[in-house]
Amino acid sequence: MEYVRAEKTTNLTFSNMITSRLGGETITLCYQCGTCASSCPVAKLTPRFNPRELIKLSLLGEKDEVISGDAIWLCCSCYNCQERCPQKVEIADVIYALRNIALEEGYIPNIYSEFASALLNDGRIVKVSKFVENKRSALGLPSLQPTGVDAIRKILSATGFNKLQQKKEETS
Amino acid sequence: MDEVKVGVFLSDCGKQLSETLDFNALVNYVKDISGVVLVERNSEFWRGEGLRTIVDAVKNGKINRVVVAESLPKLSEVNIVQAVEEAGLNPYLVEVIDLKDHCAWPHRETPSEATEKAKAMLLAAIERAKLLEPIEKLEFPALKSALVIGGGIAGMQTAVDLADLGFEVNLVEKAPFLGGLAARAGRFFPTDDCAICIQSPASDVKTITHTSRKCVYRSGFSEIPNLNILTNSKVVAVEGVPGNYKVTIEKKPRYVNELKCVRCDLCTTVCPVEVPDEYNAKLKTRKAIYMNIPNVHPPAYVIDESVCKFHDCAKCVEVCPTNAIELDQKTERITLNVGSIIVATGFQEYDSSVIKEYHYGDYPNVITNLELARMIDGFGPTGGAIIRPSDRKPAKKIVMIQCVGSRDRRYNPYCSSICCMISLKHASLIKSAYPDTDITICYIDIRTTGREHEYYYERAREMGIKFVKGRPTEISLDPETGRLIVDVEDALLKRFLELDADLVVLAPAMVPAEGTKELAEILGLELDEDGFFKEYNAKLRPTETKLRGIYLCGGATFPKDAPTTSLHAHSAAIKAAKFLSTGKIVKDQRTAIVNEEYCGDCEFCPVTCPYGAISLVPTTEGHFVARVSDLLCEGCGVCVGTCPLNAIELRHSRPNQMLAQMKALMSVNGTSKPLVLAICCSECGHTAVDSSGMAMMRYPANVRVMKVPCTGILQVHQFLEAFKVGAQGVMVVGCKSDGCHYEVGSQKAQKKVELAKMLLKEYGIEPERLEMFNMVFIEGDKFAEAAQMMTERLEKLGPLQLMGGS
Repeated sequence: MEYVRAEKTTNLTFSNMITSRLGGETITLCYQCGTCASSCPVAKLTPRFNPRELIKLSLLGEKDEVISGDAIWLCCSCYNCQERCPQKVEIADVIYALRNIALEEGYIPNIYSEFASALLNDGRIVKVSKFVENKRSALGLPSLQPTGVDAIRKILSATGFNKLQQKKEETS
Repeated sequence: MDEVKVGVFLSDCGKQLSETLDFNALVNYVKDISGVVLVERNSEFWRGEGLRTIVDAVKNGKINRVVVAESLPKLSEVNIVQAVEEAGLNPYLVEVIDLKDHCAWPHRETPSEATEKAKAMLLAAIERAKLLEPIEKLEFPALKSALVIGGGIAGMQTAVDLADLGFEVNLVEKAPFLGGLAARAGRFFPTDDCAICIQSPASDVKTITHTSRKCVYRSGFSEIPNLNILTNSKVVAVEGVPGNYKVTIEKKPRYVNELKCVRCDLCTTVCPVEVPDEYNAKLKTRKAIYMNIPNVHPPAYVIDESVCKFHDCAKCVEVCPTNAIELDQKTERITLNVGSIIVATGFQEYDSSVIKEYHYGDYPNVITNLELARMIDGFGPTGGAIIRPSDRKPAKKIVMIQCVGSRDRRYNPYCSSICCMISLKHASLIKSAYPDTDITICYIDIRTTGREHEYYYERAREMGIKFVKGRPTEISLDPETGRLIVDVEDALLKRFLELDADLVVLAPAMVPAEGTKELAEILGLELDEDGFFKEYNAKLRPTETKLRGIYLCGGATFPKDAPTTSLHAHSAAIKAAKFLSTGKIVKDQRTAIVNEEYCGDCEFCPVTCPYGAISLVPTTEGHFVARVSDLLCEGCGVCVGTCPLNAIELRHSRPNQMLAQMKALMSVNGTSKPLVLAICCSECGHTAVDSSGMAMMRYPANVRVMKVPCTGILQVHQFLEAFKVGAQGVMVVGCKSDGCHYEVGSQKAQKKVELAKMLLKEYGIEPERLEMFNMVFIEGDKFAEAAQMMTERLEKLGPLQLMGGS
């Protein structure tokens, strides 16, 4: 078993960093009851994701482990945990805050960054393929119109999303 | 009024003070002040020879005002005041100040400055003493009778205590039978004995011993001669004042004459109406005429009026051999006159059905701890068998869930404190009766903080009861087997479990009893944020309320186990007895007084008074004026600070008395620093100044302390007056805003300071010259720091420029 020295595990600045972010404010209320974990459909499928453990690690200041790992990206945002948390920890929102921190520090899985570029370029996260077009016409649905990509870019630049994405592209 | 003759007595505490203060200069200064006829110096004045000097001067008629400079005035004042009263002078004409902790010690490094400050302090005390009026002691009659609301173990024990002490006691219980939650709980931890057992009252002459304890129903409780038990009754109105309350009770009909009923049970055998028995967790049925369990008090049946067919049936009337059944009984209104009221309304289980994912009320095999207690109780609906309510088969696999609706910010954020122990008790009782039962307790934290409580946890583990650290997310029903599945993560193993169960027992939060809010309104009491009755001071006066004469005990203030409830009940009884014992309430008249000529029609003071002491009464001219009850007034002066017309004064803190003191304190500087007036409340503020002196902290001598009863008395114009009489800065020092001894005073002061700052700005005065500080007694360092900070701030600001050059 690996022993971790105490001072390493109490990096309060990380939990402060989380609580000062939109969505992350409630993380310190957690008392590790595990309601979130037993509510989580993802946790039941894979040991790689457990919201209770993710919060515990974050509160103990294990920043590198949290933001560089893939756990934060595995949340499916069903909000079950958040609905049932007895301490009103906004768990799904906390995970969004963690994702934001991770992205700022250059950690994002490729699939997400591909989505992001697609969104910036075409206004959609998934390209409209020939297959989709055919399927739609077979079902009698109208063909998909181009999105208002300029408007979407405007919104994304107002939120700073494009800068984050640029940063990511530069670093990779 | 007689000519004012002030005697001034200066204690130098041996050499302690004269090393810093020039006492010869002080004596010379004081003797020339007008009104001073006698100046004495001694090493101490609060006892022995020194005190005799004061007493002699009073007795000889030489002086009629006493000013004493003595160390530890809060202690020495008691002795001096008593001696002066015995010598024949009104004790309220004594003014004691502290030249040690407030002057010599904090300013020991600047003796000449300290001496000048001492002069100002003495002048202020003398000027104040000259303006003091005698204060009378008032006596109010108090009835030697009490009302106890709630007939659970808290109320019953308080009632026995008070009745045994000889008071007339009325015990009101809203249910048809006594016992409350305790009677349903079956057994108690940590003694594992019956919940309904109490210590025998003194009236139980035949079997009373020091150690005797019995069930309520056979304890002789009902035979206590001065105990009047009113079941099926509730308090609907309370009027009056401490010592004399007029209480209206609404007594619902029982339809059975308690004095005639012999409990022969014939009525229940003929009654045709059968309904689920709520008291017994609906695990059995009962008739429309019923008793909860055989061993109840009063030992008489009751008719459930919501289901009885009355005269359309009347079979019970026909069969009753003693003619005890009276179907024409009506709701009665009873008026009681009592001196004191004790609230013992207790708590109840939270309605777990609001937590949808646990399906309480939906799945019959999901029950609560109280319902399980009924199964465990031998008198209960199953005769002690633990069953699945759905098919009444034995429950062999039980899962218990802790913190249901408690420690939950969506419902009740607090820990109910007793549920872990209740579940451990239930689990071990079941395990010892049926060792093959599989029991798992799902918990967030196990809290066993009381005496012998940890042994329960230990014993439970020894017995093989399983513990899972995790709060289940959901209970589901297997449609095929009809069994329950509890979905939980074992957080320690990081493993997801689906626990299969015959029976799931929830440990719901304990919440205030139904009707708590209404009763609080009737009594004029406050509830805390969780809805429980708020005690006056959790640390020192756990069973008292801010209202003299009204006491609290048991679960009404927070969920409690039986030992704590007993402690609480006995404490409330002794507090009420202390209050009622003399048959009168003695109180001094250092209270607020309204000048009815100025007062008119506004409702500020009655609303602001924390004690409900002010009422509006109509005048002959057709408008309303405020009137203060001398009995209810606690003398804080918050009304004075609130009155927009200066129509209220507080005796002994009248504006002229305060102004004279202010002027005197600012009359002598003696330092090169700007004068600061520190207006301190008599509670935490003033004692923080004491403790800074006691701890030998330093701050400059330009800071002068004036005592007021509570900072809530201060009016905005008084801050302006302080600047006018020479203060360069004003500090207001009060209790912490949530720790004000008069509830709201320091919050009010804070607001007035903010308002005054705005005004100062308008007048061209820097608002930073006025500041409010909140501290407690032990924060002497904070006072010294604040005084130093204010001085430095004022030095930076430079001299105060007042408009008009005055």
